Amino acid sequence: MGRGRVKARTGDTNLNITSMMDMFTIILVFLIKSFSADGSILTNADNLVLPNSESKKKPQEVNLQIAVTNDMILLDNAAVVPTEDARNISAEEHDPVITKLEEKLKVCLAMEEEMVRMGALNAVHGRIIVQIDKNIDFDVMFKIMNTCGKVGYNNMNFAVMERDD
Amino acid sequence: MSKLNIEMKPAPELDLKCFMNLMVVLIPLLLVSAEFAKVAVIDIKLPEARGSQTRSAVTEQPQEDKSAKILLTAIITDSVVTLGAKGGFMPSLFYREFHRYVTKDGLDTLVEYEPGKQPRHPSGRELTVYERYDIFLYTSDDKRSIINCMYTKFGEMLTNVDGNPVEKVVAGDTVFALTNPRRRIIVSNPAEFESKPLSAYDELKNRLMKIKERYRDAEDADDLIIAAENEVIFDKIVQIMDAARSAEFPNISIAKLRG
Repeated sequence: MGRGRVKARTGDTNLNITSMMDMFTIILVFLIKSFSADGSILTNADNLVLPNSESKKKPQEVNLQIAVTNDMILLDNAAVVPTEDARNISAEEHDPVITKLEEKLKVCLAMEEEMVRMGALNAVHGRIIVQIDKNIDFDVMFKIMNTCGKVGYNNMNFAVMERDD
Repeated sequence: MSKLNIEMKPAPELDLKCFMNLMVVLIPLLLVSAEFAKVAVIDIKLPEARGSQTRSAVTEQPQEDKSAKILLTAIITDSVVTLGAKGGFMPSLFYREFHRYVTKDGLDTLVEYEPGKQPRHPSGRELTVYERYDIFLYTSDDKRSIINCMYTKFGEMLTNVDGNPVEKVVAGDTVFALTNPRRRIIVSNPAEFESKPLSAYDELKNRLMKIKERYRDAEDADDLIIAAENEVIFDKIVQIMDAARSAEFPNISIAKLRG
């Protein structure tokens, strides 16, 4: 009886957090495993599913980005031309160029050249990252590549999702 | 009596509050910098002068016929992959295309692709390309029967000494797993291997590795031109690039087949 009175007076009840600690430890290990010090250089456009690939090469620098979705071609996340317009360029065309995209790319290249003149860049590397939806047909992909190459963006990187081992 | 009192005291608990504080700080920090979907890139270098190699690869005649170049080209259509070189073409690799659809309501189905025909959900609606999770290309013979091949438990295709796919293994057989370089396996327990439809990408890699072994000294031994039809989707091109790179053809050019 006496012992019961003592407990009621102190009201000392400890919260048992052992199970919560177990959970936190598991989450911590999982998060450390997926930790990336590099961060994400690429920003994904909506409605764009990248193909899976065995490539492990990481994008090294922030470059100009083209995203090609089923509906729209975007340059640095700004809509440039509907993908349908690229599809409508005749397949018989020997040098298929997407005109609106070419104009925008020329502006970007001119800006890079200007930065070289000002000393902000060492050289114009002509690097571009192309994110193409995995369901886009080869015809559109080819026209994009041809347009980029014609302007002077010859070092292309196709963005892909790294396949899990 | 006093000894008894000491034994009745509850065991002191470890104070985990400071460790909890640490966790509360660490977990949001790691959550912010965690990378759940890893993005990688594939390098493609176009020639400096022109944007594409289409015309030079397909319509113009090669200028350096006397050189030691092999001009290896993979030609891709909707049912065939053919490897060609300066000397001619290898037998075509026929394939049948299967699409795996995964929907939000839990449907997971494998459907054979038929051009112009979109598969349907049991509810009646058409399945969309965004629900297409995977594309499998299975090698078939000229009667469109799928060819089976033995695979290891790691998903590596098995070949014999000549580099041809193995359809059956028995204990004591010597086979080679399709890794680069090929890994020799002496079969002790045939149950360790399974027979699966032969992936066209695996067979393509196998053929490319054979070409690489044979023409290692060619001037353009690292080069492969991928020429595709307009309708071939980007996913297939990427898988073929993967097969090419793993067979040591890192320099990939893109060309286009003209009607």
